[in-house]
Amino acid sequence: MTALDELREEAAGLGVRLRRLAVRIPRPHIHLSRPRIGSPLGLLLPAAFTLVLAAIAHIVSILAMPALAERNAYARLSERTDANVLVLLPDPTPRETALPMMDPAFISAVCLYDLSEGALKVRVPATADYTSVSFYTAEGLAFYALSDQAAGKVIELDLMTASQKAALPEDEEITAADRLVIESPALEGIVAVRAFVRERGMRELVRKQLEAASCSVGG
Amino acid sequence: MRLLPLAFTLLVATMLGLGVTWFSVTHSRGLDVVRSGAWEGWPRAGTVKADPYARAAFARSGELPLELADGLLFLATTDDGGAPLDGRCETRIVGMLPQARLWTLTVMDQDGQLIANDAGRYGFTSAETVYRDDGAIDIRLSPRARPGNWLPTGARPRLKVALRLYDAPFSFTSGAADAGGLPRISREACL
Repeated sequence: MTALDELREEAAGLGVRLRRLAVRIPRPHIHLSRPRIGSPLGLLLPAAFTLVLAAIAHIVSILAMPALAERNAYARLSERTDANVLVLLPDPTPRETALPMMDPAFISAVCLYDLSEGALKVRVPATADYTSVSFYTAEGLAFYALSDQAAGKVIELDLMTASQKAALPEDEEITAADRLVIESPALEGIVAVRAFVRERGMRELVRKQLEAASCSVGG
Repeated sequence: MRLLPLAFTLLVATMLGLGVTWFSVTHSRGLDVVRSGAWEGWPRAGTVKADPYARAAFARSGELPLELADGLLFLATTDDGGAPLDGRCETRIVGMLPQARLWTLTVMDQDGQLIANDAGRYGFTSAETVYRDDGAIDIRLSPRARPGNWLPTGARPRLKVALRLYDAPFSFTSGAADAGGLPRISREACL
């Protein structure tokens, strides 16, 4: 018991000394008073805060735009056509264009693809002049293009996702040599076929030739 | 008491941020601009390396950008002196074109719409235009019929001209300006 009492007394003494020491330590002076509106700092701080927030809002909205835009090319085209069918677009006129900024010297066809049920086969026969096939994701990102010069007279290719490509049988050398396989980064997207019309009198001819182009899923 | 200024700050910040976004998607086609005289091109816009501003602008407008492997688009809204292209004036586009399999030149109003005219002529292609003896093009944009390569402007106060080079070799390191340059745009006379 006495030992405990002694310890208690000692602790009490230590406590008193500690408190005295603590008083000697200077306390930091914190001014929590708000800077007044009108003082330079009072305006600068909210302004900087607003700018940082505005920058964040700007960056977020720019990055979100492709996913959120309701009238992007895919949405505009899906009003005209179903998935996995190639349709010819009307020639752009001053009153109406299927998509903005189309080259009036070309005849265009589009195929909205959906690879969820299998790879897409695209076949574009030779037309009278320059013909190209371009691939876009549904968000409008251009990921591949080739022209008739690169592909030979008839453009034939298979569009598939990475997993569908991985599932392709490897021993079919003939298939690999004959057909061009293109990997799509997205399940849905747009194939755009454009054929050049050298002179205006040839429009009907090129349009007829392009009608033979096709895209289809399955097989 | 402090909630109201905070809400106000948030509102102002959001409006400001979205306003800048709106301005950039309506006025720009991406950050990687290549310039040659009055012409502006965005080679990366048609590749998987398209920057966020290009992606946002195309998502809003609904345009499918020309793929770089297919071709390259240049736009001009001013002449070489920096004055806006005025459809009430006569404008000449003269010069050699870089190497390409073919090219097209299209006249539009400032919104990118084709301009209605009796001839149904919206532009020239490399096959249609009459070249000068030295191989240069000489195209006249005018509200009234002109001899030679004439494109009607419909007397629109502002014009936009698109030059598309198809199957053209392009290197990012040299840029289009080194590829022989693009035709010069000059204003002749105004009505």
